[in-house]
Amino acid sequence: MTSLAHAESAIERPSGPSAGWLVVAGQELRDIWFSARGQAIIVAYSLLLSLLTYLAASNTELNIIDQRDTVNLVTQIAMALAVVVSLLFSADSISGERERETLESLLLTPVPRREIALGKLLAAVSVWPVMLVVAIPYIWALRAGTGLFADAVLAGLLVGTLLVVAFASLGVIVSVFSASNRLALAATFFIFVVLLAPTQLPLSGWVGDLIVQVNPMTAGSTFLQRIIVKEHAWGDDLHLLIAPIAAALVVSTIAFIVAGRLRLQGSFGR
Amino acid sequence: MSVRDAVEAPPANSMTRPALTVEGISKAFGSTIAVRELSFEANSGEVIGLLGPNGAGKTTAIRVLSTIYPPTSGRFAVSGIPHTKPSAIRPLIGVLPESAGYPLHQSGAEFLRYYARLFGHTAGRAREIAEVLLMEVGLAERAASSIATYSRGMRQRLGVARALMNAPSVIFLDEPTLGLDPAGQRQILALIRNVARERGATVILSTHFLDEVEEVCSRVIIMNRGDVIAEGTVAEIKRKAAPRTARVRVPEEMLDRALTAMRRAQGVTGVDSVEGEPGWLAVAFERGATEGERGVANSAIRSLLEANVPILSLELEGGRLSDAFLYLTGEEKL
Repeated sequence: MTSLAHAESAIERPSGPSAGWLVVAGQELRDIWFSARGQAIIVAYSLLLSLLTYLAASNTELNIIDQRDTVNLVTQIAMALAVVVSLLFSADSISGERERETLESLLLTPVPRREIALGKLLAAVSVWPVMLVVAIPYIWALRAGTGLFADAVLAGLLVGTLLVVAFASLGVIVSVFSASNRLALAATFFIFVVLLAPTQLPLSGWVGDLIVQVNPMTAGSTFLQRIIVKEHAWGDDLHLLIAPIAAALVVSTIAFIVAGRLRLQGSFGR
Repeated sequence: MSVRDAVEAPPANSMTRPALTVEGISKAFGSTIAVRELSFEANSGEVIGLLGPNGAGKTTAIRVLSTIYPPTSGRFAVSGIPHTKPSAIRPLIGVLPESAGYPLHQSGAEFLRYYARLFGHTAGRAREIAEVLLMEVGLAERAASSIATYSRGMRQRLGVARALMNAPSVIFLDEPTLGLDPAGQRQILALIRNVARERGATVILSTHFLDEVEEVCSRVIIMNRGDVIAEGTVAEIKRKAAPRTARVRVPEEMLDRALTAMRRAQGVTGVDSVEGEPGWLAVAFERGATEGERGVANSAIRSLLEANVPILSLELEGGRLSDAFLYLTGEEKL
């Protein structure tokens, strides 16, 4: 063993990273995408899309919905799964570090709390571009004759990005305050299910309209449906983007604020 | 500039500045006071032992001083930087937390590279630093192995390497040898000694292993239920609080006279004959006698000699740090 004095001379004291969030995000991305967990999610997701596309494209007896509906279905499934997976990673981001007892070491670095949270949020959001890229060949295969490939991908990218940012930010908020990973996951999934449920219900009347407009999930889903299935022009339904945009902005701002209050112990679930 | 350069040529106003100054730090969680009025100073190269039973407040004290918890009251400074600037303190300190977890899927080298980057090193420097530190803590051969395959001792050494990542002025080690076998304990203690001696770093060592403290610490702070109950060098603590007893052998026929004389001696709190050992007396001296341990023993000897009782044998006992610790923390079995 050489002397520690030698080590000391080899290690100058740095002043801290200029972009700690990038370092955190880089490590988190490696942890997600080079791990069995991330790869298993993508494989399972690809298999699901493959099955759906195969049934829609080849089996005319089972294929009872038209191509526009199928493209819309695939896009919405890709988006909903991306929201779920990003929620999974973001809810684990801080409370998971707490449970694994690695948070204290992270808090002892010069990286500001907000940058730690930002790095983790970006890594959680990264699932969406990856899942969208995986979905593109399926959308391409299903779009035949409809000419709606670009609209489906762009509308999906826009709405999906807004929803994934909003829900991943929600996951970070819950994770910052949650002492238990299980609690963080349960709380965020509960909120997700509550917001997702109206997309599966027949909504009518002014209450239905209100829910569609206010709930970012229903608003985003309706926007996609109108662009892809009903061939509306983008400008016709921009009001449906207000809720997803507001959700992304408000929730990510709250996440940024509460990340500054990141503590070693969580406030809830101890 | 390297840390060595910084240590050898400090700014003029830091020549006599302590590495760590703590003034009346208290930390409360609701109505529970975990640390009360902790004050001390630590100079470069010192190893200070933070002793105390479970729940004494050692870990909370370290978490306050390492900027994890804000103090409820009081203040501290690391190399002159006040606690109100935690982000400026963090690059100056290294910490091995009591419950340090590790990302088990990463290799030791990946883990250290990541932390080197978090401390602001470039990717290239991070790689070099990780290699150097892994060599220093004796993990170079296992650098590429996943941490999941490391023993507890190896993980602790990896944690020490991470604590040295930023060439810290002050290093906090919270129970670094807990759960290690004797060989692992030896390695960690040797590492701690070297860190203080060769790097000139101040080490705050929290432990409840008293032999470790006697081996590596220049000073000791004993805490109990959040309070500092003793502070000083190991010798001072022993002198202050360790119980002293002696076994004295006198001629059997003079036993009664010896008992009477000893009971009158200053600083003797108890004396009795030893059952089954004719001519032997067991003597207990008062703790922390103002004239010191030798004075008390001398007083007892003098009383025997003045009573014309010859001393055939004298065995001075006690005076261990563990005796002092148990006495001070109220856990002594009397």
